[in-house]
Amino acid sequence: MLPSFCDGMDRRGFLRVGSLGGLSMAELMRLQHLQAVEATGSSSAKKKDVNCIFIFIIGGMAHQDLWDPKPDAPSEIRGEFSPIKTVVPGIQLTSLLPNVAQVTDKLAILRSMTHGDPDHTAGYHVMMTGVHPGTGPAFNRTTTNNNVHPSLGSTVAKLGRNDSSLPPYISIPNFLNSGGPSFLGASCAPFVIEADPASPEFAVRDIVLPEGVTSDRSLRRQSALRAVNAFERRVEAMSKQVQSLDTFYEKAYNLMTSQAAKEAFEIGREDEATREAYGMTSLGQCCLMARRLVESGCRFVSIENGHWDTHRKNAMSLRDLLVPPLDLGLSALLRDLDSRGMLESTLVVVTTEFGRTPRINAMAGRDHWPAAFSIIMAGGGLKSGLTIGTTDKQAASVIDRPITPADMAATILSVLGIDPQTVVHTPVGRPVQVGGGGRPISELI
Amino acid sequence: MNPTVDFPTTRTISENLIVEPADIVLHGTNRQQQLLVTFISANAESLDVTHRCQIAIAGPSVASVTGSTLSARMDGSTHALVSFGKLEVKVPLRVENCEVYPPIHFASDIVPVLSKLGCNSGGCHGRVQGQNGFKLSVFGYDPQADYDAIVKESRGRRIFLSSPSDSLLVQKATANVAHGGGRRLKEDSTEFELLHRWIEQGLPRGSESAPRLIGLNVSPTERVLAAGDKQQILATAIFSDGIQRDVSHASNYASNATTVAEVTQSGLVRCGELSGDAAITINYMGQVAVVQIHRPRATLGQAYPTLPVNNRIDELVGAKLAKMGLLPSESASDTMFLRRLFLDVIGTLPTSDEVREFLADLDPYKRVRWIERVLERPEYADYWALKWADILLVDKEKLGDRGAFEFHRWLREQFERNRPYHEWVREVLTATGNSGRNGPVNFYRAADTPDALARTVSQAFLGVRIECAQCHHHPFDRWSQSDFYGLAGFFQGLERKPLALDRTLLVHSGYQPMVIPLSNAPVATRPLGVETAPDLTRTDPRVVLADWLTSNDNPWFARSFANRLWKQLLGRGLVEPEDDMRLTNPATNDPLMAFLAQQAIDANFDQKVLLRLILNSRVYQTSSVPNDNNQDDDQNFSHYYVKRLPAEVLLDAISSSTGVPETFPGQPLGTRALQLWDNRLPSYFLEIFGRPPRNSPCECGRSSEPTMAQALHISNAPEVESKIGDDAGRIAKWLSTISSDVSQRLKPDTEMSLVNEICLVTLGRLPRSTERNVAQALFATSNSRQAAEDFMWTMLNSYDFLFIQ
Repeated sequence: MLPSFCDGMDRRGFLRVGSLGGLSMAELMRLQHLQAVEATGSSSAKKKDVNCIFIFIIGGMAHQDLWDPKPDAPSEIRGEFSPIKTVVPGIQLTSLLPNVAQVTDKLAILRSMTHGDPDHTAGYHVMMTGVHPGTGPAFNRTTTNNNVHPSLGSTVAKLGRNDSSLPPYISIPNFLNSGGPSFLGASCAPFVIEADPASPEFAVRDIVLPEGVTSDRSLRRQSALRAVNAFERRVEAMSKQVQSLDTFYEKAYNLMTSQAAKEAFEIGREDEATREAYGMTSLGQCCLMARRLVESGCRFVSIENGHWDTHRKNAMSLRDLLVPPLDLGLSALLRDLDSRGMLESTLVVVTTEFGRTPRINAMAGRDHWPAAFSIIMAGGGLKSGLTIGTTDKQAASVIDRPITPADMAATILSVLGIDPQTVVHTPVGRPVQVGGGGRPISELI
Repeated sequence: MNPTVDFPTTRTISENLIVEPADIVLHGTNRQQQLLVTFISANAESLDVTHRCQIAIAGPSVASVTGSTLSARMDGSTHALVSFGKLEVKVPLRVENCEVYPPIHFASDIVPVLSKLGCNSGGCHGRVQGQNGFKLSVFGYDPQADYDAIVKESRGRRIFLSSPSDSLLVQKATANVAHGGGRRLKEDSTEFELLHRWIEQGLPRGSESAPRLIGLNVSPTERVLAAGDKQQILATAIFSDGIQRDVSHASNYASNATTVAEVTQSGLVRCGELSGDAAITINYMGQVAVVQIHRPRATLGQAYPTLPVNNRIDELVGAKLAKMGLLPSESASDTMFLRRLFLDVIGTLPTSDEVREFLADLDPYKRVRWIERVLERPEYADYWALKWADILLVDKEKLGDRGAFEFHRWLREQFERNRPYHEWVREVLTATGNSGRNGPVNFYRAADTPDALARTVSQAFLGVRIECAQCHHHPFDRWSQSDFYGLAGFFQGLERKPLALDRTLLVHSGYQPMVIPLSNAPVATRPLGVETAPDLTRTDPRVVLADWLTSNDNPWFARSFANRLWKQLLGRGLVEPEDDMRLTNPATNDPLMAFLAQQAIDANFDQKVLLRLILNSRVYQTSSVPNDNNQDDDQNFSHYYVKRLPAEVLLDAISSSTGVPETFPGQPLGTRALQLWDNRLPSYFLEIFGRPPRNSPCECGRSSEPTMAQALHISNAPEVESKIGDDAGRIAKWLSTISSDVSQRLKPDTEMSLVNEICLVTLGRLPRSTERNVAQALFATSNSRQAAEDFMWTMLNSYDFLFIQ
């Protein structure tokens, strides 16, 4: 045993403290105080926080082929998928979504999303932040890892309550364009998994000990580091930076040592039946992973799912490749959340940068269509089993109840307990509302 | 400064009680007057007693008094009697033309009300898209449009002429009708009266020839206050006909340091518990003024000591510290100084040999000599090129391989030659030709419109953030759209002809007139703050701009340069943020700012001369460990402010400590992160430690905020671990040079020299006793290789490694 290391604690005691956050009692209280101060929104601390699973369909999801069927339109518009009944009388989906049709009572279909920009990059930005990137100073259409306005996940990381040992904002399986913190800074950036949970080799970067470092050895190192840094505590007041690094080190350390936190990432702990129910696809397993993460207290999980830019062979791609994983994954996720009693406290959003053109093009594809498209919201205490807004006979334009990306953003934030009118300041001091000035969709709340 | 005042005992008309204004005139357009009453104590300190004195009117039928504000009642002359303790001052008071409510001018009377009440702020109706269908121009920059919005839009439903108070505009503002913005207006206020009268008068726009607002005076301009002290601000608007109007209650107020001093919207400042400096910005209709508040620490209880001085910088910082009652920390140790010097100036750790050599050097002037040595290192050019590549938007994604490479190479060359700053800036400003051969041409590809160039040039080289004025009057500065587009005009007419291989040929085809978008109003091309437009027809207009910008008379150029250097070394700009120079964001030490700017000019903008001056000061060589007196100070350099190693510097530091260089795809072996020209090179490490995206001409893009991913990566990543344990790395090599059997515990001497070596390469110093104990415990548990690796890991994760102290 190394008396100078563990403050006299044996290994088991050490781990027990670790699971409390790896903090001394005083530090823990300081942290909780900070969080209480930072927490915004509802004053009733008893109310359970709502977390968000934000599924982003990259490329542009063909609304008329999934959520907003137009069976009476001419064939070059309606496409080849016929409408099917759902468990909600009066709501039809297309035949691509047989599983979702069984859980339509748990979700709301927003058929009147609209914004004017057919550009992918601008579309990501406006649909992940609520704010159009415009032609502002920082905007550059080729810019991929930065944005003009903070993403919703980053806003939640900044303003939301977070008392879990997991990072508040996690992105799987990749970093999402426009999912960054913009001017809120690195501390609000997503923790990016950068691995596909459907892969057998799935592992999360940096949370497991590197090869050759046993847990005993890691404990010795951590204790040595504490002893060395303890000297600095005397001068800790000298920098807020040192203090906050201190906090992050403790959180990181906790993530590494806390069994519960680490297990959240271990998708293999799910039984085979559950994994199969979600579908052994990237999207399916990301949905399952997202459930595990929000279950352990992550506030915002964003999932990216690509290859939906179906300029060619739209119907074939949707039918054979793209929609089945979504149909299975989404329906399994909603059922699973419901059966675990988590649906009320988990908001699920399925969104995309825009819809696709009414008319099928010469290559059997559909092109970009930002004038009217559909997104899905479920759980989080929202009303469900309904549609909002309508499009015309060709699903080409919104004829009733247009919903802007800012309205979507405001809805998500307010469900998560953040006032969407909260003002943050850009680096030049310009005040902007986090929700982009939108209004929560009253029909849902 | 002292809140308890010894009242004078004799009743006198006192010179110790000063009332402003000294001569009060109330008239039709100035129906109210805030007074400012200042008591001068026996030791010549000024104390605001505005809200503690008695104010009476000799002839109460002429004027009345509420608090410390006088209101006109009827024409006549009298005086106000202001008394404080036994002191009394008689101030002449005249009321003229007050029966007639003067014709109201929409732009100068009503728009300020909309600003004061917050109606036209960016979060409310001033938003681009307005709020709930009602849109005003933000901060009232477009009175014409605001008039139409109020009077004409929505079929005129916002105004009810025959019953002004029932107008929707008034009903909403008073929240008699549901209003998302709540109650902004009280029925008994002057703002209410103004709105009411304006509607009653038939909604006049006001005469074209009405006097223009030309200035804003405030009193006091600077004050030293103690905790809990209050200070009223008197704000006076000056009009072109010479009329003055009290706008103390009509202006908008903001403090830049609310923990030091807060300000109410009627201009009352109150000091908080924290000591420091605060600047109070006063804004009235686009005219801005500033009041500087200094809140020293409570008295030292001893005479202020004489501080040691190396050069003029120490005198100027010392004077400010004395004023604020702050005692500086002790001098930094040799090793703290050396590591700091290396990291701040060349972004590189000293080697163990260098630390040993420095420690063994007995020359009392060794710091002076080593400063010279570091300034001559080749890494100097690498580090400063990286810094300026951030500011000048050297982004490979935008410029392409060749463009980014060439611009970066050119920047590096400027620092390698130590070319005077104003010379290389001039070359950027006037660049033409092929972007593949002439590096600075790429500046015009990164900032590719006149608007973007106006923003970038003013922020990068002048430290003036003018971008607000692209769309509306700058809320905290004097800039309007005509200033913005006046500057942008210099870049109008630049032509970018695409060449093969992703290159651009840049030519300026000569002056072309500029108009303000939307309004299409023509605007004269002219530099910032210069009223007369220069002749631009003879040459590339950018030459004229460069002449003005780099001249010794330019009000910002030298200051901005000096301030950036100061920030790089001391961690905080004298003006902070370092590129936000404006009247309302004053330097925390203006004499020092002015001195450094003059030094830059005198040195012909030789960067090394200025760096040398700062590096040799006691201020730079002060310890980062605060004392009890100065630990809250983050403005006045009483101690060195620690900073985290920047991303590239940190990666290089890990590589040099472990003795295993990083390999970057496509770069020659041995390339350091500091030398990378390609800012998009995939690197998880650089990404999470805050490599900037280079899309804004601002050092703020470089983040040093800690995150969980950073902590996880540095402590757990296989990439870092493999460097520590590399068979060709520092530890393995060191152990291979000794004869003993490494599976056995090393001899105590050998073990300690390995521990020393690890401490020297990471922390730039020998181990403290804590570190020695920790190391011994590790060596007692594991074999030497493993223990050494564990100790290296511990050092790399320690605060002393991650921060420049």
